[in-house]
Order: sequence, then C-alpha cells, then structure tokens
Amino acid sequence: MHNAKLKKTGTTLATAIAVAAAGLSLTTSHAMADGWEPEEQLNITIAFGPGGGNDVLSRTLIDILEKYELYPENIVATNRPGGSGAVGWGYVFNQEGNPYHLSTTSGSFIATPLQADTPWDTMSFTHIALMAADDQVLVVNSESDIQDFDDYLEWARENPPAVGGIGSVNNDFIVAQLLSQEAGYDYDYVPFNQQGELTTALLSRSIDAMVATPGSVIGLIESGDFRALAFSGETVPDALEGVPSFAELGYGDAAVAMPRGLIMPPGVPEEAREWWIDTIAQVVETPEWAEYVEANFLTENVQFGDDFTDFLESTINNFETILTETGAI
Amino acid sequence: MEIFDNLLMGLSIAITPMNLLYLLLGAAIGMMIGAIPGFGPSAGIAILLPVTFSMDPISAVMMLAAIYYGAMYGGTITAILLNTPGDSTTVASTFDGFPLAKQGRAGPALVMQACASFTGGTIGVILITLLAPMFAMVTRSFGPPEFFLLCLMGILTLVALMSGNWILGLVSALIGFALGTVGVDLETGHQRFTFGSTELIGGIHFIPVAIGLFGIGELFHAFYSGAHKSGTGGIVQYQNEERFWPTKKDLRESKFTMPRNAVLGFCIGLIPGAGATIASLMAYSLEKSLSNTPRKFGQGEMRGLTAPESANNAASSGAMVPLLTLGIPGSASTAVLLAAFIMWGLRPGPLLMADNPEFAWGLISSMYLGNMALLVISIFAIPLFVYIIKAPYRILAPLVLVVCVMGTFSVNASMIEVFIMLGAGVIGFLMKRFGFSPAAVVLALVLGPMAEESLRQTLIISRGSFDIFFLRPSSVYIMVFFAAVILSGILLNAYRKKANIQGAQA
Repeated sequence: MHNAKLKKTGTTLATAIAVAAAGLSLTTSHAMADGWEPEEQLNITIAFGPGGGNDVLSRTLIDILEKYELYPENIVATNRPGGSGAVGWGYVFNQEGNPYHLSTTSGSFIATPLQADTPWDTMSFTHIALMAADDQVLVVNSESDIQDFDDYLEWARENPPAVGGIGSVNNDFIVAQLLSQEAGYDYDYVPFNQQGELTTALLSRSIDAMVATPGSVIGLIESGDFRALAFSGETVPDALEGVPSFAELGYGDAAVAMPRGLIMPPGVPEEAREWWIDTIAQVVETPEWAEYVEANFLTENVQFGDDFTDFLESTINNFETILTETGAI
Repeated sequence: MEIFDNLLMGLSIAITPMNLLYLLLGAAIGMMIGAIPGFGPSAGIAILLPVTFSMDPISAVMMLAAIYYGAMYGGTITAILLNTPGDSTTVASTFDGFPLAKQGRAGPALVMQACASFTGGTIGVILITLLAPMFAMVTRSFGPPEFFLLCLMGILTLVALMSGNWILGLVSALIGFALGTVGVDLETGHQRFTFGSTELIGGIHFIPVAIGLFGIGELFHAFYSGAHKSGTGGIVQYQNEERFWPTKKDLRESKFTMPRNAVLGFCIGLIPGAGATIASLMAYSLEKSLSNTPRKFGQGEMRGLTAPESANNAASSGAMVPLLTLGIPGSASTAVLLAAFIMWGLRPGPLLMADNPEFAWGLISSMYLGNMALLVISIFAIPLFVYIIKAPYRILAPLVLVVCVMGTFSVNASMIEVFIMLGAGVIGFLMKRFGFSPAAVVLALVLGPMAEESLRQTLIISRGSFDIFFLRPSSVYIMVFFAAVILSGILLNAYRKKANIQGAQA
C-alpha cells in the first residue's frame, strides 16, 4: 500500500521535471515550399526580462501581427533573460536554419558579443529589418545654472562633470564618450544598473548630467525637473521641441542609435527572409506601430535586409573603436 | 479638504463592479504567485500585461498593482510553513515564522502575518494619500552616497541576526559576499568568475540560492532527522484546531510592532533599489533591539514575524510613491508597471497625478480595498494551507521538491539556476547541520553587490575622496540617525544588564 503510493508520487515528480525540461528543447521539424508561407507556430525569443525595451517591442509586434492577421499560425513569446542578452540570443543562434524563430534587437545585441565570449556575434544572424532607432538625450538637473549646451560645454571644460548612464558597455556610455571626444572635454562616466537609481542620482544632484533615452526622462523634462541639452538623433521628437540635435551642434559623429530591429537564426532560407521583410514592411505602416514609435520616443528608421546588415556593421565599428580605446574590451 | 475629495473621487472610480472584479482577481492571483517560491510579482505582472492592452487603464492598473502587493501577502506562507522564502523580501520572516510553525502555531502565525501585512499595506496607503508629494522629497535627495550608507546599515543589521555563533555567521556572510562578486563588473565591463559561462554573466541570482539553502536544505535536514519515517507527522506539528486564532497575548505584543515597522518600511520603500528586503531586515533588527527579551527572537517570537511582514508590505506601498510622483521605478515589479503606464498611453513623471487624477487616485483608493480583500482572502485560505502541511512527510517532501524546482525554473527558464538551487540545497543542509547561517548568505548576496556598486559610483563622483559622505546633508542625516540607533541600542543593553543585576540582588 505504502509502496504503491510512493511509486505514484515518484511518477508525478518525474513527469513534472520532464515538463519543466521540455521547455528547454523545443525542436521543430520545418517543411519548406516555394514562395514560402509559414505553416508552424512562431517562437519569439525576448532576450531580456519583462517590461524592458525588447519585451515591449516584441509584444507590440505580436499584437500587430495578430490584429492584422499577418501571421497565419500561433505566436508564442518567451522571455529568456540572462547575460545581457547572451542567453536569449544564444538560444536563437542555436536554431540554425529554422524559419520559425524570431528575436528583437537592442544596443546589447552589438555590445554583448563584443564584451563577452559568446559563441555568436551580431553578424551571425539572419537580419530582417531595422524598425526604429532609440536615440539618447543629454539632460541636467534644472536647479543647475546650465541653460543650454553651450553653457554645459563651457562649464564642462573647466570642471570635468560626472555623467551617468546605464551599464559600462552600452549606448549610454558610447554616446557620452563620443560626445566628450568630439566636443573636447574631460568627464567621468558613472555606470548604473537600473534606470530608477540613475534618474534618482540626477534628481539628487549626485551626478552632474546623464545620458538617457527620451522615454525614461520625458516626464521629468516636462515637469521642469530636468533640462534637455542635446538630442543624439537626427529628428528631434515633438516632446523635445527646441532641443538641438548633435548634428545641429556640429557633433553629428557622436550619434549612435540603438537598433530596434528583427533577427532570425543563422542560415534561414532566403524565401523565408523575403517573406518576413514583406510582412514587416506592412507592420511599420500600421497606425499601431506609429503609436508605439511615438509613445516610446523612438526615431523612425526603417531599413530592410542588407541595409540593416550595413547599419549594424557600422554601429559595431563605432562601438569597437570606442571600447578598445577605453580598454573595456 | 482636497485630499478627501480626491480620495472620494478615486473610490467612486474603484467601486464599479468590473473594477472590483479585476481588483479581486489581481489580489487572488498575486497571493497565489507569491506563495510559489521563485515566481515573483514581476513575472506575474508581465504575464498578465498583454491581457491589459484592451482594458481600461484604470481597471488594468488596479489589477496589476493588486498582484504586486498581493504577492507580499502570499510570499510569507511558504516562509512560515516550509522555511522556504518565496522572495528575498520574506527571508526575515523565516527567522521566527518557521519556529512558530514548528511549535504548532502555524495557524496563529499565518493569521498574524496577514494582519501585519494588512497593517503595513494600509498604513503605507494612508501615508501615500496624505503625504506622497512630501515623501517624494526623500527620493529626490537620494544619490549613490546615501544609497551606500543605507546598504551599510542593512549589512550591519546582519550582525543583529547572528544570534548564535558569530564567527560562523561571519563566515556565512562572507560566502554570500563572495557569490555576489560573480558576473560582469559594472564599472569596467569585465567578467568576474564567470569561467566563460554565458549564464553567469548576469551574476548569481539570489532566488535559486535562497530556495536551495532554505527549502531544499530543510528537506534534507528533515530526512536526516528521520521525519519521513513518522507516518503522520507533517513538517510541523499541527493538530490542535483551537490554535487557529492568535491569542490575546500575540495581539497585545504586536500592537506597536506593526505600525512602527510599517512607517519604517514605507520610508525605505521610497528609495529606488533598496526596497522591501532591506526594510524587512531593518524592521527585524529594530524589533529585536527594542525587545526586553531579544533572546526569544529566532525561537518563535511573534514580533519577529510581524515586524518584517508589516515592513515589507509598507515598503511595497512606499515604492509606489516614486513611481506615481516622479515616474521612477524602484524595483523589478514597479519597472513592469512603469512599462505598462507607457503602453496605456500615460506619461509617467511628476505631472502624472495632476494630468491623470482619475488614474492616480483610482489606483490609490483601490489599494485600500485591495488590502482589505487580501486580509479576508488570507484568513479564509489559511485553513487550506495548514491542511497542506498536515500531510504526511513522505507525500509532502516530493511536492516541496517539485515546487522548488518549478519555481526556480520559472524565473529565467534556466536549468543552470535549477542546478545552482539543488547545489545550494546540499550546502544549506550542511550549514544547518554545522550551525552556519543560510540567512546571512542570502542577505549578503543581495546587499553585497548593491553596496559595491553604490560605493564605486560614489567614489567615481567624488574622484576617490570619502569627504563626499560628510559634504552632502542627506548623507550626514543618515549617519547621525544611524549613530543614534546604535548608541541607543548599546545604552538600552547596558541599562537592562544593570536592571537585571539589581533585580537579581533584590
């Protein structure tokens, strides 16, 4: 009697573990036809945790694909965070040739392989499209005497400022570094892990300035707590009207945008790539997409296929130069 | 008064049948996911986030916020019954919660934790209602130097937790600090002790370590002591039905404990990044140092459970202040809420409350209702949970193992973390066997990296000078406050010793 009970519990345990393990190795067979049409469930890997830029982008994309019935089959999104994207993108990398896997990109898609010893790099994947770019804004606390970028520059040349940003091998750092080199001033970069702590540090005037995506500071700019000095993108969003772009200030070379795009595993058949490029061309035309771009203060920048590959290549070069100079890699 | 007008307006929005339904749903889901070790509120909110796209933002935020603070109620259940904290915020609740359950007082412990959670949560919402803009000033004066001092305070409270052998406690804390050094160094971007593993780039997460050290360690220890051989005995003894309700003594003892730690927890919750873990720890050591019988702490002292519980719930309310008044997320869960705000077309920041009063006050009002609902749900659910631990150990043990494995796996879908959890289980058993402190390991693992980062940020800003701690007014206030707490503790002890000697002589 007791034995029977024990056995039963043992089986339950084994099944449960098997269920848990099954989540790891989703293997799919892929059939292919001329003029490729998807026939299986689409797996979207989000290489970061919930609530982040990649998560929001993926979920917006799914929403649009489902609303306009652009993808005929089921869509499943999985967060696979870890190692600044190394884990999630590593998973996609391992799905070689499988056209039913998709992932989104961010600045870490370029920075992580440069920094860590990942088996993949940015160029290993099948590049579908750049859908938008995340630009940065340089802000100071409004209580400071600095009114505009000229004030900042004059002051920074006398007193090297402490400039905060997220991470040490990241867009925030690259932009801060390039800007200081172009404009000719010394500064100290203060890396933070979380946006909340970074914003608080500028609010409490522990740091002198910070580099951030507009979305994360727009509320504080509108309330008059922060003052925006310069925007790295080419077209300044309406919410930042009156703020000069880096290019207008003469430092256009300091602008490095975070790519918000789509990638697939290496070696995906050309037909599937074409199908996705056509589909994404429809996605970026929807009002929902325009809404997403506006709500998140992204810069419209759509580039397909090889153009996206070129964009990534030039961004990598920028990153590599800076990071080698500063000794981070 | 304007505040009451606002609150009434908020209530009128919150009390519609649909909104109440979403609120109850959120509260129940929150409690459930809180009760599963590893599966925290941020994951719960994120999973339900897409569902909310088509909902009215007010209903949606009521539901998601209820998941957030509801998880704080649920998280303690396994801490008390199975010695397995579901999150770092409930580690302090195991110290006295589990001993209470072992004494057969699981029922009263669960009821009291629900009351403490309710008190903490509600006092927190009252403070938001009355003084949110004022409390935003605390957030506004907190930079890396102040954050470091706070971490230091958290680390020093570890000392108060080491009631047994302090050398073994110190060794345990050092193990925790060492584990905390794994991962990418924030300042230079170099990898530390990752040995080429991509899974370790992000560091060792505390959740698998905590679940392993406590949950699995406890399991091994129970086998070691032969608990599985007893046919009927559960993990804890619980037979007496009349012991369900707390005694008058329990209530009397915690009368001041709950409100004072609620205020403490709320204030710490205001600080982005510090949050409920530090709050619960500081509450525990505050209560222990105020007590006339500090030796009872760790042996099943009710105040040792109600203090951290009240504080961690109040801290989760406190974390809503920077979110609502400044648009700053203080924790993983509030970061997901912030993302939700943006998706619903709101613009988080200092103008949020003025521009969207229905939204902000609807949310605040719903938190009063949500805490009440959670208190009721908890009281009704407690007999069910107690029933679980009455199961024979040979049935319960495999279930606990499965829940621990699934809970760990669910966090990041990582098998490596499951192995870390199982490895930590073996170490947890050995630590328990030889008198080390698993709590010190987990808390050092949480606090160590925070302290390191903030100290290095501080020193970059000050260019290597420690003067910065004396030049910033808020740093000085913290240090003065801290010195006063330590000094009063020493004086209180000396006074008690004197009183004891005199008492003995008389």
